[in-house]
Amino acid sequence: MHRPGSGRRPWTFYALAAFFGLYVLFLYGPMSAIFILSFQGPTGGLTFPMNGVSLHWFGALFGQQRTGDFAGSFTRSILLAVIVLSITVAASVMAGLAFRRRFLGSTLVFYMAIFSLIIPGLLLGLGVGLMFQFLGIKPAWYSSALGAQLTWTLPFGLLIMFAVFSRFNPFYEEAARDLGAGYGQTLWNVVLPILLPGIIAVALFGFTLSYDEFPRTLIPIGSRNTLPLEIWAMTTNVTSPALYALGTLTTAVSFVVIAVALTSIALIQRRRTRRGTRTDAGD
Amino acid sequence: MSGEIELRNLTKRFDQTVAVDAINLKIPHGSYCCLLGPSGCGKTTILRMIAGHETPTEGDVWIGGESVVGLAPAGRGTAMMFQNYALFPHLSVLDNVAFNLKMRGVRKAERHRRARELLAQVRLDRFADRMPSQLSGGQQQRVALSRALITKPRVLLLDEPLSALDEFLRLQMRGELRRMQKELGITFVHVTHTQLEAIAVADLVVVMDQGRIEQAGSAREIYTLPVSAYVARFMGGQNVLAGKVASVAGGFATLVGDTGERFSSPLSGQTVAEGDMLHCCVRRDRVKLERDRRPPGAPPERTNAVVGAVHAIEYQGSYVKVTIDVPGREPFVANVADGRFFADPVDIGDPVLAWWAPEDVHLLTGGLGRSVRVTTFRQAGDSHG
Repeated sequence: MHRPGSGRRPWTFYALAAFFGLYVLFLYGPMSAIFILSFQGPTGGLTFPMNGVSLHWFGALFGQQRTGDFAGSFTRSILLAVIVLSITVAASVMAGLAFRRRFLGSTLVFYMAIFSLIIPGLLLGLGVGLMFQFLGIKPAWYSSALGAQLTWTLPFGLLIMFAVFSRFNPFYEEAARDLGAGYGQTLWNVVLPILLPGIIAVALFGFTLSYDEFPRTLIPIGSRNTLPLEIWAMTTNVTSPALYALGTLTTAVSFVVIAVALTSIALIQRRRTRRGTRTDAGD
Repeated sequence: MSGEIELRNLTKRFDQTVAVDAINLKIPHGSYCCLLGPSGCGKTTILRMIAGHETPTEGDVWIGGESVVGLAPAGRGTAMMFQNYALFPHLSVLDNVAFNLKMRGVRKAERHRRARELLAQVRLDRFADRMPSQLSGGQQQRVALSRALITKPRVLLLDEPLSALDEFLRLQMRGELRRMQKELGITFVHVTHTQLEAIAVADLVVVMDQGRIEQAGSAREIYTLPVSAYVARFMGGQNVLAGKVASVAGGFATLVGDTGERFSSPLSGQTVAEGDMLHCCVRRDRVKLERDRRPPGAPPERTNAVVGAVHAIEYQGSYVKVTIDVPGREPFVANVADGRFFADPVDIGDPVLAWWAPEDVHLLTGGLGRSVRVTTFRQAGDSHG
């Protein structure tokens, strides 16, 4: 038995620590195998052991086309993610503002938004593809695939904005109006700056959800792939560690995006609490 | 521009509940008015309707001789200080104060100069570059005050301005608010649920209950001449007694309580009829206390007296608050000057006789007639005498 203050940890601590260790291994083990193998030597294969260490396969990505259309799909993915991000942020912020009051059909709109979260993605993508075919419009990444991704990111953005607005004190708006700000001025000078960290979070979600979206995008993508679809295609015809290099590279992009978002949120928070410490303290 | 406020038949309903019920009130220009009442009595709703953050269901708000209903908050010549100040967390102290000027398109150098002037008035100029979260509660309050005053209002509306401060700052700031109001010469409307705060600062105290005005008058009037049992109990400092009018003669009415005590009270121009059920009150500091050496349970022989056992004794510095359990009545309180108390101190459980002079009794004939309601709020006098 563990006695408080005896300085020794109970056996449950070690059991849970071991369990946690397994969890971490399970989570990062497969990913690290891919990271390591992406630095395989020029003569190495798809599996261990490593046959030297090199950046050869990263170079191969940008070289000849036998590894697939990496540059094109990467550009499309980034562009699509930015478009999705912009629409998600704009729509979620406006919806968040609207949903602060009940309006005619607000419950219906809300449930419809949530509904699109729980429909299986592949089916939803199939539906979008079928509809485009029925209407005689050629599916493409910037139309049908964009729409399919938005069914995923918009409800997410909306839910985040609900959380953000639930902590937003409406007295700030009243104070602004009391001090002579119009509706537009209040929104621009008070509401949006205060909500900025939450808005960045929505943007981050919009970007990353789009950047690695697969099931909804698969069918309505048209003839030119986004990066996840291209990687999927490559697994069937590329038999070199270039595939791993691609995985490492795209993961790095995701990390950079997340780091940028988190850093900017942290900077905003710090600016709000630390600025002006150059004046002396106390009263 | 005059800061006289007139509320005419002002009513606000939220769905089925009436928050403000047909209020009529005139607040003179340049006066300090306190709206006082327990939470939910409608005082903040009135303030918000004057400010323009709430639209009246019925009735009218006049400021300086014109109706302001329908005007934007900034077009009314009012400025509001919010309960938790609502300082913009993303703006520095200076930009908070300069906010109104920025909205009006004043150039940066000019608006910062004027904001600094106002901050200097409240001795906060050296905190101009701070963020609001880096300031103490008292400093934040002064920033909120400067931010409101930069609009040059004719009416300043303060929603529980002192409730977020600790006791010491609260006393200091209420004096400062009063001083500022005198200096600026504008109308202050201050919402509070603290009785002593209201009577300390206000020219005009408006006691509210359930969306209605129970009594409006000077602080002294409200405290010493309450119109109803509600006001007397709410303001504290009084013992409220109930009885049936037995006789009216020689400018005095005699009330007989349920347990046979007799209370005599000057009519002071009020009309009462024999048989009326009435309340009267007597100030706690006018009550004299002596030991009751008669057999226990005997009713007092004299008029204007109650008997009971001492329930609690609280030393308050200049006086001692003695609470007496009077059978069949709400607890009776006598504030005995400390010299007199300690000459022959009573102890908890001692039988005592509390008596007072008829001139110190005040009949409660006004108010809204809900005279027998049970008090559901903390009485001011319970903690401060």
